[in-house]
Amino acid sequence: MIKLLWNTHNQKKTNTKNKDIQSKEAVDYKWGTYHKKHSDVWIYEILKKVKYDLIDSDEKLENGDTLIIVDSSLENKIEFYDRLKLVCSKIMLFHLGDEAGLDQSKIYKSCNYVWRTFCSNKYFENQQVKCIPIGYKSGLKNKKKSERKYKWAFTGTPHKSSRHDLLYQFSDIEPFFCHKTQKFNEKIISVEEMSEVLSSTKFVPCPNGFFHPETYRVYEALECECIPIVENAYNYYDRLFPDNPFIKVNKWADARPIIQGWDEDEIKKKQNECKNWWNKYKIELQESINKKVIQ
Amino acid sequence: MNRDKLKNIEKLIGNKKIDLAQIEISKLGPEFFKDSEYLYLRSKIFFINKLYYIALDTLLIALEFEENEKVYNLISKIYGILGNKELSKKVANPELRLNAIVSLKSELTGISQKEN
Repeated sequence: MIKLLWNTHNQKKTNTKNKDIQSKEAVDYKWGTYHKKHSDVWIYEILKKVKYDLIDSDEKLENGDTLIIVDSSLENKIEFYDRLKLVCSKIMLFHLGDEAGLDQSKIYKSCNYVWRTFCSNKYFENQQVKCIPIGYKSGLKNKKKSERKYKWAFTGTPHKSSRHDLLYQFSDIEPFFCHKTQKFNEKIISVEEMSEVLSSTKFVPCPNGFFHPETYRVYEALECECIPIVENAYNYYDRLFPDNPFIKVNKWADARPIIQGWDEDEIKKKQNECKNWWNKYKIELQESINKKVIQ
Repeated sequence: MNRDKLKNIEKLIGNKKIDLAQIEISKLGPEFFKDSEYLYLRSKIFFINKLYYIALDTLLIALEFEENEKVYNLISKIYGILGNKELSKKVANPELRLNAIVSLKSELTGISQKEN
């Protein structure tokens, strides 16, 4: 049987007084629960074509089962994966949250195939590992607005130069929506409000994340049929999605004439291009995942 | 820390051998990571490769460790290219640059490690 275990929130808790270990385990648990809360809809969407039973514990595995496991912070789970290998005929891992690109070779060797978020050089052309988008936050809904009142929108933390420049370059292009935060995931707007804002927005500038180019922002923009404008650093998006229709810039000033100057027809055309590409991409991803699981 | 390695990288950049400079600088270990000259050379390579924001972030971090004229000059140059003439001018001006950088870093939550 094919069984799915969501394991990101099951993190090792060592009985130790070592503050560094305690702190690392607390961070791993925080992120594990974050992924379970915010990425479940996305992961279940891309697994839509696979027929599986959802299990809540590895104790429900039987000899010969194919296991689809969604996991994060794998560094302390080597023994757990060794145990799974003894029971399961196949292990298909969805690895979330490894923004820093740590060495995962020991765990990956235990798996038959790996889908991971946050791509990096060693995974672009890998036979055993496929990079997938980090997706959108659970609960996000396209409100299908006929009128989009905001030319652009940004919500997030202006932690580095790119975001600072983005706000400098676009702040006179009105109307816009902007919600700045001091820290990641603190005093953020609700997913409901985010859905409302993005469904009312034409362009969504998507600056790189703190460690990695990818952010939820890109996929939330696509879900709500906005036009993502991404940073072109290291051609990341062209390497991840070779035929993507995103607008790419080296500096935010290059996007000013587009946001300011494009007429409604040009905007509509690009919106449709992005919408059609994203829908096609998701269907192809669903099919390729199903094929890999059942082969 | 072997400073000859940095001099060699500077020479490669000067001779427009950017790919080679990139390879050589990537080989340097953590003992260089808080060195202002190392960070400046990293930034210069980012800048030449049009990675303006990564270059700026790296230069701002370099200023955490050492005040340096050429670091300020490159920051000013990049802001000029980005189209932020006001900030470019302030950073180029020795009398205004310190306040300009302190103010900038206070807005960038991910750069400064110091209490300003």
